[in-house]
Amino acid sequence: MASSSSSGLTFKLHPLVIVNISDHYTRVKSQMNPPPLTSTSTTVNGVEPLQQAPRVYGCVIGVQRGRTVEIFNSFELLYDPSTHSLDRPFLEKKQELYKKVFPHFYILGWYSTGSDAQESDMHIHKALMDINESPLYVLLNPTINPAQKDLPVTIYESELHVIDGIPQLIFVRSSYTIETVEAERISVDHVAHLKPSDGGSAATQLAAHLTGIHSAIKMLNSRIRVLHHYLVGMQKGDVPCENSLLRQVSSLLRRLPAIESEKFQDDFLMEYNDTLLITYLAMFTNCSSTMNELVDKFNTAYDRHSRRGGRTAFI
Amino acid sequence: MEALVTQIQGLSGTASDVLSLQNLLKQADDSLHAESTRLPPFLDQLDPSKHSLGYLYFLEACTAGPVTQEQASSFLLTIARFISSCVAEQIRLAPDKFICVCKRFKDQVLLLEEPLRGVAPMLTAIRKLQLSSEHLTALHPEFLLLCLLSKCYKTALSILEEDIFEVDQPRDLFLFCYYGGMISIGQKQFRKALELLHNVVTAPMSTVNAIAVEAFKKYILVSLIHHGQFPTNLPKYASSGAQRNLKNLCQPYVELASSYSNGKIADLETYVEANKDKFESDNNLGLVKQAVSSMYKRNIQRLTQTYLTLSLQDIANRVQLNSPKEAEMHVLQMIKDGEIYATINQKDGMVRFLEDPEQYKTCEMIERIDSSIQRLMTVSKKLNVMDELMSCDPLYLAKAGRERQRFDFDDFDNVPQRYNI
Repeated sequence: MASSSSSGLTFKLHPLVIVNISDHYTRVKSQMNPPPLTSTSTTVNGVEPLQQAPRVYGCVIGVQRGRTVEIFNSFELLYDPSTHSLDRPFLEKKQELYKKVFPHFYILGWYSTGSDAQESDMHIHKALMDINESPLYVLLNPTINPAQKDLPVTIYESELHVIDGIPQLIFVRSSYTIETVEAERISVDHVAHLKPSDGGSAATQLAAHLTGIHSAIKMLNSRIRVLHHYLVGMQKGDVPCENSLLRQVSSLLRRLPAIESEKFQDDFLMEYNDTLLITYLAMFTNCSSTMNELVDKFNTAYDRHSRRGGRTAFI
Repeated sequence: MEALVTQIQGLSGTASDVLSLQNLLKQADDSLHAESTRLPPFLDQLDPSKHSLGYLYFLEACTAGPVTQEQASSFLLTIARFISSCVAEQIRLAPDKFICVCKRFKDQVLLLEEPLRGVAPMLTAIRKLQLSSEHLTALHPEFLLLCLLSKCYKTALSILEEDIFEVDQPRDLFLFCYYGGMISIGQKQFRKALELLHNVVTAPMSTVNAIAVEAFKKYILVSLIHHGQFPTNLPKYASSGAQRNLKNLCQPYVELASSYSNGKIADLETYVEANKDKFESDNNLGLVKQAVSSMYKRNIQRLTQTYLTLSLQDIANRVQLNSPKEAEMHVLQMIKDGEIYATINQKDGMVRFLEDPEQYKTCEMIERIDSSIQRLMTVSKKLNVMDELMSCDPLYLAKAGRERQRFDFDDFDNVPQRYNI
């Protein structure tokens, strides 16, 4: 079912689609009544209760220019389990509505959730073939795997392969890239920072902000280190010289410094100094308060003639 | 005795051997002292760089008795050679013996009235005895005393630069800071002197001691020279004994400080003349004279806060100097020292006072602030450690617990019986 596609098309996926699919899935799952049984509940007759992870379905729309397919948006569809197909009239009505708003967008394919593409999906796929002769199948894996680093989204195409002498349509995996428009980048950024969901006080927000910056700088540092190590190895001769990489590194280096003028240096250094001074002041205050407490404790402990009578009652 | 020598030669190899050697030597110590006159020839059989511990014991026993004049200089040579070639780890096993030997060395040097001979060996001795550069040993004040007497102040400065966190004996700290303050005054580094004298005055002391009294006198004078004012109350971390008694014991100096703050040079000079003998008996007359001359500087600095430009004649009048020429000299000196920012226009004799030209936008400033932040971070860590130690101190816990109210707030009845609103 999964070999790499040979159609030569490049796919670009917008984050809006991913957010839509995951939102659809989460909504349906949380609205299910009763909620699906978790694995910690007792087993019935020694049989593990089925994980009733619902499958959601929908359509993806976008633009195809030449060999590039760009998937911009998506909408939901109802799945009819009796006929094993998607609700056709609804789809057509939705398509008309979307055409009015986005005249350039076509239906490029459909999406669903699950861990892997299944045989029954081929039905739906073939059903869509009259709208688009080679539809896409976008699959989102909703299981949360903390060890996984990539997005759990796969795009499948259908290809005619000869298996056992019978030509069959099978799903083949295609690679894709994530493409963002400015507006999308801002909103995704915003969603990502909503993590301290209780809002938190200013201090925790500042701490979260600074931790973000710190981890970003750490990542940048480690990547520069890797590059540096590689270049040193290349210089020593351990690694074969690759001119294309060297050109890329050189172009990267020439991008900085971005501004180089006297006025910029002045302002930059002045702001740097200001920040350092504020840090210094903060450290000073911290130190002074520790010292003050220490002196107080020392005086209570060792000074023979401290105030008699003790402190008054604190009520 | 010979047996002991061979044992020393044999057991000076590894660390565990040295420890067993130390036990042997401790037991043999009394016999060594008993035979102190016979010991010098044995010293030649031992090599100070390899058998440092044994050599130390022998040396200490040798120098225990009274030393004649001829023996003195040969002893000085032997001790000096020993100090320069001994092994630090072996020495640290018997620190008090080492300190004893060095103190006798210092006494001999002073007896021969050649303190300069003792400066370099003492410095090496300190470096070998110290566990870390933050450790104050009993040899530090001896070293500073030798530097003071031989007037070589510069060598002492390297020792004074180090921050001290551990002290063996409080008396060492008092003496060290007092001598260090005097050396800094000699080098005209008044800020450092103020810091060291401040340490003596505010160090914990259950009863006021003489070192603190002398240091307090100098402290008043140096703070007048450096800051132009003297804070009438000691900070709260000074011991209560010091806070109450020091001022009473240094009455003439306190009055000097109060007349200084009035700003009139004539009054100050009359007061100094009147109490000259008291100042002279404390060997502080030179400092007092410096304080009087610093009065002019104070007044000129006060002028910068009121005027933007002033003529030299006006300055001379306000500061009670004799002529504009003197005023010009004073102002020039102050500009060179960096105490004020001004330009002198010699054509019409006007002085224009300027602002601090530091713009805080250079890389050097960044480095300065950065290094200060680093230092502050180390200090902060040490402070936290000390704070934790203090919180667990049984004395503190006993007293802090006693001051608490016997009943907690929650013990009281919830229902209010009578409130006056």
